[in-house]
Order: sequence, then structure tokens, then C-alpha cells
Amino acid sequence: MQIKEDKEIDLFVASRIGSFKHIKYHTDPSKNSKKCIENLVDIKTLQKDDNITCMVWGSPEQTDILIGRKTQQIQVYNTLHGFTKSYTADFGSGDVVGLGRHGRRLVAAVSEGVVQVYGKKENVTYNVGKIDRMKIFDGDTTMFATGGEENDLKVYRIGEAEPLFVAKNLPHDWLQLRKSVWVSDLTFLSPSELAVCSRHGYIRLYDTRAQRRPVCNVECDKMAATCISKGFDERQVFVGFGRGQLHQVDLRRGHLDKGYKGAAGAITGVVISHGSVISCSLDRHLRVHRADTKELLYKQYLTSKLSCVLVQTASSTPMKDVQPEMKEELEMKEETALEDLESASEKPQKRSDGEQSQEIDAKKMKPSTEGSTVADDEDAIISLLRSTERQKKKRDKMKKNKKAKSVFHNA
Amino acid sequence: MARGKDKKKRKLEKKQEGDDVPKKVPHTLESLREKDETMPANADTEEQEEAQKDMELDEMATYFENAYEPKVLITYSDNPHTKTRTFGRELMKIIPNSLSRYRQRSSVKRIVQSAIREDMTDVIIVNENQKQPNGFLLIHLPSGPTAHFRLSSCKITKEMNKDHREITNHRPEVVLNNFSTRLGLTVGRMLGALFHFEPQFKGRRVVTFHNQRDYIFFRHHRYEFTKEGKRAKLCELGPRFTLKLISLQQGTFDSKHGDYEWIIAGRRHQMETSRRRFFL
Repeated sequence: MQIKEDKEIDLFVASRIGSFKHIKYHTDPSKNSKKCIENLVDIKTLQKDDNITCMVWGSPEQTDILIGRKTQQIQVYNTLHGFTKSYTADFGSGDVVGLGRHGRRLVAAVSEGVVQVYGKKENVTYNVGKIDRMKIFDGDTTMFATGGEENDLKVYRIGEAEPLFVAKNLPHDWLQLRKSVWVSDLTFLSPSELAVCSRHGYIRLYDTRAQRRPVCNVECDKMAATCISKGFDERQVFVGFGRGQLHQVDLRRGHLDKGYKGAAGAITGVVISHGSVISCSLDRHLRVHRADTKELLYKQYLTSKLSCVLVQTASSTPMKDVQPEMKEELEMKEETALEDLESASEKPQKRSDGEQSQEIDAKKMKPSTEGSTVADDEDAIISLLRSTERQKKKRDKMKKNKKAKSVFHNA
Repeated sequence: MARGKDKKKRKLEKKQEGDDVPKKVPHTLESLREKDETMPANADTEEQEEAQKDMELDEMATYFENAYEPKVLITYSDNPHTKTRTFGRELMKIIPNSLSRYRQRSSVKRIVQSAIREDMTDVIIVNENQKQPNGFLLIHLPSGPTAHFRLSSCKITKEMNKDHREITNHRPEVVLNNFSTRLGLTVGRMLGALFHFEPQFKGRRVVTFHNQRDYIFFRHHRYEFTKEGKRAKLCELGPRFTLKLISLQQGTFDSKHGDYEWIIAGRRHQMETSRRRFFL
């Protein structure tokens, strides 16, 4: 196997019981362990309706996470400082189905169909009809889109009461029957292009400049689509389904492309990062697939039903509990050099200083570890050779033993 | 290894070793079962805590807090034949506070709606094919989950040469055996939530759901303690049947648009990787 540079990807996962976890996923499979998972909410404090229904990044630097709960509570989590603020979305009934930030103002939507833009002096509300999802466009935060059951896609601009764009359903079928609409999730591909997936089994691409009807409609034989995410290509999306399928959808040619296998329950969230597709599922597993080869790279059981997943690409978050990582590093360096040992012995002293210094420590240490991996390359090869030798010896021994046994039995 | 030849020799060796050698555990599919990470028994304390919390917050939690008395509706596919009808009636005798109704060509979703209106807590729908009951749909109300089982080797009391009049009206005890994974626990909790939480021990009636290699065996007994009180004699009352989980769905029945928590259809080859792997 090729030795590749190890990359760390920070994942945040929310669950149906309200727990919220941070996972450090290493592209090097040997480094992944249970130590890379930490709980960010105390499990003992969870109540009946703490179900997290929506989770999005609150800032382009990806340091703030907005969390919407079934109790209509909206919390702001800072990746470095923890929970900072909380709001209540009491302007309508239902779950929080969409969140976002417009400048410094919070935008929230509840499933009854009310979108509210919080303001310093007054809050602005939009009535959009029952919705399943609301999303804000990252590139231009004045735009948000909504959709739900029998409530087709609408795009609004904050400040204007009337929608910018209202989608039109496809024409009736050959029996002159209406096609039913159910937008379960949507995503912006560019300021004017949106992709929509539906529980009635279609994925549609809308171009707000071109026409009100979709420019591309992909039927996927009645599989209920639950979530959608942007692809690596501009005409590509990833769609998760209620029966556990996960597909890449090619909107250029209009068909389902690759299937990513492995899930036993409904996919509830998909994100992409570094050439891999990360999905969370109702079967309580988080999975990472390689996008091009469809290979399952990583699978982790996370104890509760997962509802959303986020990936941090713009920045990184150190683990709160740094000790286990340090231990690993210590083990790795044991054989290398005295200098490293000395520095390692210094670390525990610093550790006692406080949590903040720990985090800084972890940051400082990162470049050094990267350097060490390069230097360790030769050592790794040597150790590999040694281990193969050992294995050979073992095998020989086994063979001898077997022979001896067989002699015994024959006699 | 040639078995026959060595057998005597091995027996002799065994005799020479004597009794102080601990008895070996026989290698069966169960004892060699592949390790399942979702088993709470295998998890560390933090995970166990979370799994515990997960169960405390699920839809069946109110039953296990003894907050309500279960009320069960039993119904069938359209035009059930005698065996299925009898089976349903016997189920009705086993499950306290349950009633059996013919379906009258109503859809499952409408049945669910009217059952919620009538304050039912569970709905059982027995499907039939070629005059044999073959499907068992269990819906927990008001907000799910829905479990779909395949029903097989169903024997009603008459086929077992028993009398259904021997089944008394006492509330039975429930034994749930071997539900070990997280999925198994959910299924076990669903089955347990059908029965009243307070059994009447006077009736000495016990209902067993025994899980073995993902098949759930249902048996129904009356017991009697022997005079020393160490053992119990069992008398089977019937019916008996076997269930196998096909899917577990979140929410009430919606096979088209619903979200499945676990489904095996279409991925059997991916999931059944080994004979020693079990899901419940």
C-alpha cells in the first residue's frame, strides 16, 4: 500500500435524541479510533424533545454552528468556545427546518411555513406555506429558498415581500393527471441554479434565469429522496434516499450515476469533502465513501439515530480532550530521539495550566507532527521489514508445530 | 482429520485427564457469533449511557414508565381464511385488552388514523397467502415505529391438538430472550409493549419471544412449580409461530415515502456477509 499524507477532516454530527458530536476523521485508516470522537453535549441533560432537526454553518469561516431543535430552540455553537447564544423560534409551530445567517442577522424557518429574519429593532417574517426545508445561499446571503409537501420551490430575497422565483410543476402526464410535488431537500448550485429532491422520487434542476419549469428532471423509480448535496462538478449532486441508497446524480445526462453502498437505514445527511462523500444514516452509522471508486473508507457506530452532518473545510478544530492524542504521539516518538522525549515530558506540565493553553498547544504541535511523519518514513520502512521478518518466523514455527502434530496423530 | 479412528483414542485421553478439566463450550453459530459493535454489552460506559438515554427517549419509553395500558387492534388482510381468523382470535386471547376486527378493505394508513382516534396503542396486521398467515405488521401508535415481520411455521391450537379454551383471561408474563443488538432491543421493546406491564401471576401464563439467529420464536405456556420449588413444569398452550424481521421503519406505516431505520430488502448480499453475523 502507498503511504499517503494523513489528512484530518473535522465532522460534526447531530442526532435525533439531541446529542451532538465532533469527530476527527483521519484519511489514514490506522489513526481512526474511538478516541477521535467527543460528545459536545452532556448526554445526561437531554430531554424528550431535544431532537436536532437542523444544523448549518453560521459563518463562512466555519467556526459557528447553528443548531435547531424540535423544542424550537436555536443554539449557536462556537467550535472553540462552546455554546454561546440561544434563541427561541416561537413565531410559528413545528420543527426548525432551516437556519442561516444574513450578515449578523439570524434567519430561521419552522415547518408551519414561517421564515423569520431576526433584527435588532424588529423581526421580519415571511409566510411561505408548509415547508420541509429552507436554505440560504452561501454566496449571496440575501437569497433563501423554501420547499415542502405540495409546496414547490420558491426563492426569496430578504427585503422583498414577493418571491423572486416560483417554480412551476411539470405538465400533466398522458392521462391528464397532475404530478404531485414534495420537496424534501434543496441546494443552491449557483445564484441562479437550484437542485431539488423529492419524496415522490425525482430530482429536479431549476434555472431561475431560464424558465419556471425545471430544466432537468431525473426520475428515480419512486425512491423517496431525503437529502441532497452539491457535487464536485457543477452539474452533479449527491442524493440520499429513505431506503438507504446513496447516489451520485448526473444532471447533464439526467440519470442516477454511482451508488454508494453500505447503509441499512435511511440516509439523513450528505456532505462532500476532499474527494469523499460523507453520509449519516438512521441506522446510527456515519460512513465515508471515496467519491470516484465508491469504496467505503470509514464507518463508525454513533449510538443514536443521526439527523445531520457537517464538515469543516475552511478551518479545523482541535479535540477538547487532547490527552489521548498526545499519548499516541508519545508512543510514536518513543523510539525516535531524545529531544522529542524531552519536549514530550514538558507537555504534561503545560497541560495542567488550563484548557485554553491545551488548545494552543495542540495547534502548535500540529506542524511538528507533520514534520515527524516525513522523517519517520525510513523508520517506517525499517519497522515494516522487521515486522515481515517476524511474521515469517512465526509462520515457520506454526508449520513446524503442525508437522509435529500430524506425526503424533498418524502414530 | 480422520474422525472415526481417533475417536476412541480421544475418549481415552479424556478419561485420563479426569473431571478437573473445564468443560469446553461447543462451537455453534451463536457462540462464534461475529462481534457486533451496536451491542450495548460490548460498549464502554459512555456509549452505554447514551444507548440508555436513547432508549429512554424513544417512542416506547412511556410504556416502560407504566404510563399507559396497551390497547391493541388486530386485523387481517382482506378476506382472511379460517386459519388466519382463528390465529387472530387466539392472539386476541393472548394479548390482554386487544380486539380483532375485519379490515373491510380499508388501507393501512386509514386503519392507523382511526386506531389513533380510538386511543389504540398498537396495531397488528396479519397478512395471509394461500390460506396461510405469512406476514406480521406491527405498528406502534401514535408516532411509530413500524416493524414488518415475515411470519412462518404458524400453528394454531387446533393443529397442535390443544384446546383454545385452556387459555385463561389472566394477563400473561412476557419473556424476551436474546435481543442483544441495538436493533434487537428496539424490536424486543416493541413486542414487549403489546402486553400489559403488570402480569397476573395467578394465571401462571407466560408468553415467550425467543430470538435465535434472527428468528423470533413465539411460544405460549402455562407453568407449574414442582414441589421443591426449584423447577417449573411447562404445558404449552399454543399457538406457536416464528417471526423474522424484514424492515423497521420510523413513524407509522408509509412504505413509499417513509424513512427506514433498518431494511434488508435489496441488500441481502451486502449485509449477510457471514453465517455468523446476526442483526438482532
